[in-house]
Amino acid sequence: MEGMEMREPFKNFYRIFRKREKITEYRNEGRKILGLLCNNIPEEIIHALGAVPVRLIGFYETTALANSKAPSWMCMYSRGVLEGALRGDFDFVDGIVSATTDDTKIQLFSSYKFYIKPSLAYLIQFPYVKDSLSREFFEKELERFVSILSKGLSAELSDEKLKNSIEIYNDYRKVCLELEKLRKEDSPKISSVEWFALILSSLAMLKDDFVKMVKEELERLTDFEGRNDFKIRIHLSGTDFYHLEILKILEECGMAVVSDDLCTSAGYYTGFVEGKDLRAVAKRYSECSACVMTLSHSGLSIEERLRFIKEKVRESKADAIVVLKDRGCEVCGHQCPWIVREADVPVLVLDLDFPVSVEQYRTRIEAFVEAHGGG
Amino acid sequence: MGDRDWNPLGYKTLYRELFKKHLNRQEMLMNMKRPVGWFFAFHPSELIYVFDLISAFPEQYSAYCAARGSSVDLIDASIATGYSHFLCDYFKTTIGAIIEPEKATKPLIPKPDFIVGSRALCVAHHEMADVFARYYNVPRFVVNYPYWTSDSLKNVDELTKEAEWADELYVEYTVKRLQKLVEFLEGIAGEFDEEKFKQVFKKSERTSKLLIEILKLMMSKPTPGSQREIGDFVFISFFVLGSDYALEFCQKAYEIIKERVKSGEGVSDERYRLLTFGIMPWHSLSLYEYCERMGANFPVNLYVNASVHLVDSKKPFESMVRRSMHFTNSSYEMLESIVKTARKADIDGALLLENTGCRITSMIIRPLADVLREELGVQSLILDAPQCDPRVMPMERAKTQIDAFIESLS
Repeated sequence: MEGMEMREPFKNFYRIFRKREKITEYRNEGRKILGLLCNNIPEEIIHALGAVPVRLIGFYETTALANSKAPSWMCMYSRGVLEGALRGDFDFVDGIVSATTDDTKIQLFSSYKFYIKPSLAYLIQFPYVKDSLSREFFEKELERFVSILSKGLSAELSDEKLKNSIEIYNDYRKVCLELEKLRKEDSPKISSVEWFALILSSLAMLKDDFVKMVKEELERLTDFEGRNDFKIRIHLSGTDFYHLEILKILEECGMAVVSDDLCTSAGYYTGFVEGKDLRAVAKRYSECSACVMTLSHSGLSIEERLRFIKEKVRESKADAIVVLKDRGCEVCGHQCPWIVREADVPVLVLDLDFPVSVEQYRTRIEAFVEAHGGG
Repeated sequence: MGDRDWNPLGYKTLYRELFKKHLNRQEMLMNMKRPVGWFFAFHPSELIYVFDLISAFPEQYSAYCAARGSSVDLIDASIATGYSHFLCDYFKTTIGAIIEPEKATKPLIPKPDFIVGSRALCVAHHEMADVFARYYNVPRFVVNYPYWTSDSLKNVDELTKEAEWADELYVEYTVKRLQKLVEFLEGIAGEFDEEKFKQVFKKSERTSKLLIEILKLMMSKPTPGSQREIGDFVFISFFVLGSDYALEFCQKAYEIIKERVKSGEGVSDERYRLLTFGIMPWHSLSLYEYCERMGANFPVNLYVNASVHLVDSKKPFESMVRRSMHFTNSSYEMLESIVKTARKADIDGALLLENTGCRITSMIIRPLADVLREELGVQSLILDAPQCDPRVMPMERAKTQIDAFIESLS
């Protein structure tokens, strides 16, 4: 593979994402769309109730409206969503769902609800703790979610429907893991730009459709020529990331992104639901260590995250880590020094904010590649 | 604009007594080699007195450093280590003091033997607890309170936090986690004493009632006290509620303010009544005095109001949950309770402090300003005011903004 241009079928997936083609299609079919503000929402439930869960993402270079309703130092993700909501760009959404996974996600939920007044809004209360008491609570919390959502969507959840949705989501996770293999080959067959084009599109369509579309392309993707023109293999760390522009810079400077722990990628699809009922769903979402906020009975959330990152680095044979540290992200803000201190490979921390200072990033990345990029 | 006479309630002496007694208790327990626990705002402070724990509060210690002028260096030390600039000032100041203790104000915060993280206000408390626990390699316990939404909580009284209805699922889970906390503390500090528990909660109930009464009296006309004095109530309601000295303080403070109201005296010659909200800028508390000297008094400080709750000693665990039912831990529809308070206080405007790095208090500021304008027709001045970093809020700039705001009210 030569150059940094996005190839087909990735272009097609990315267009579907940016133009919300599938979402429009679903709406025209009369389906309800629920906008998600976090990666840790048990989507299987929404899917089983016949609605379409999509991740809300706002692409804006400036967020003047959001800045008039919230501090301008908030993370890019929250500013983007609030801006989109206030501009009316998310009018296709019938309701929103968020979670208590971090302060921003909570306040963004409240702010969205306060200013936009969607007919349906739910905040999932995470227990943070993984003891049996908290697991039991979380199961009941999901029952509560089902009850409120069923009423709002005028739909009923059956065991069969939930089982079916769990299977679809597990299929989706399997497909992502298959694609991951292509990404982390010695000569990676999928570039980071292409990877994110693909994964982001999965946040804006039904997983059934995504799986079907990817399976149709999988053989073609497997035959793609691998990339050998890179100098260093990178694990990308951060939270809600979706800007291909920065990935292009990384690649142009000789980096090949072979794994990540981002909320919009591996932090989203990692972890299967092992079982067929709500209890199994609760277990998956309360135990998923890919999320930065979950923590185990015995350890700290930072430790879980470090374990997750180290495992990813090992599996993908990454030579270094690039941390995309959103300046306004509370999670990155607390955890970044620990990643730098305890990673087994060199770490480059890039402070993120928009508009992107292309030349500044380029200089730092080039210097890092020169220092750690081998031959 | 003239400088009017300023006539505070004189709580300064009471605070001095309170801190002295608190420090004496700490010293006595240190000599007894009792365990040191780190706690955060809205934690169940009564348990500290039930278990004879030495309590330390990163937030209070940071406020102390801010008032003494060392917080700037400590914040810089934390940022230099890689922690983000836009994190809570309390976190940055405390981490700075851990990393570079030589720059921190003495006496230093004692090292913890355990940490109790919670989410009764913010996830940041929980994240901080994680970081601190990792630095010191000590056990950490998490109490996860719900974030209240309109489908889980109805009609909360802004001061007492009594609600018409709260979802049982959340109340029960939180009560169970609090009971687990008691078990956790037993493992650290020894057996739980049922009788002592009852006594502490009785004290806490009496104290909480007095705190609420004082805050109600603050809404009298003219405003009887200064926010320089009332602002420090958060130390009592957050950190020492359940102690003898908190009760003593409140008894005396109540008598003083009652007399003041009876005599019809105000903190200054009142021209305007302002509502205020936001964590106090501990480096520049003279800001309140500055306003009051111009006749702009503060009958309501919503942050202080958020810190109090009515304790029911017959239902101690439910009371600990009630502590979390404040508007800063609730979705913004709950601002209706604020409107009631503001209406009762007959306010002319609001001074809102945006605490850079605090998502909880800062995100709600503009909706609060919008609600006050739409429901009561009053305007708000929003100031950038991180609680420990004076560089972001130079006093002279703040004063200019306040002057202009007050002029606009006339």
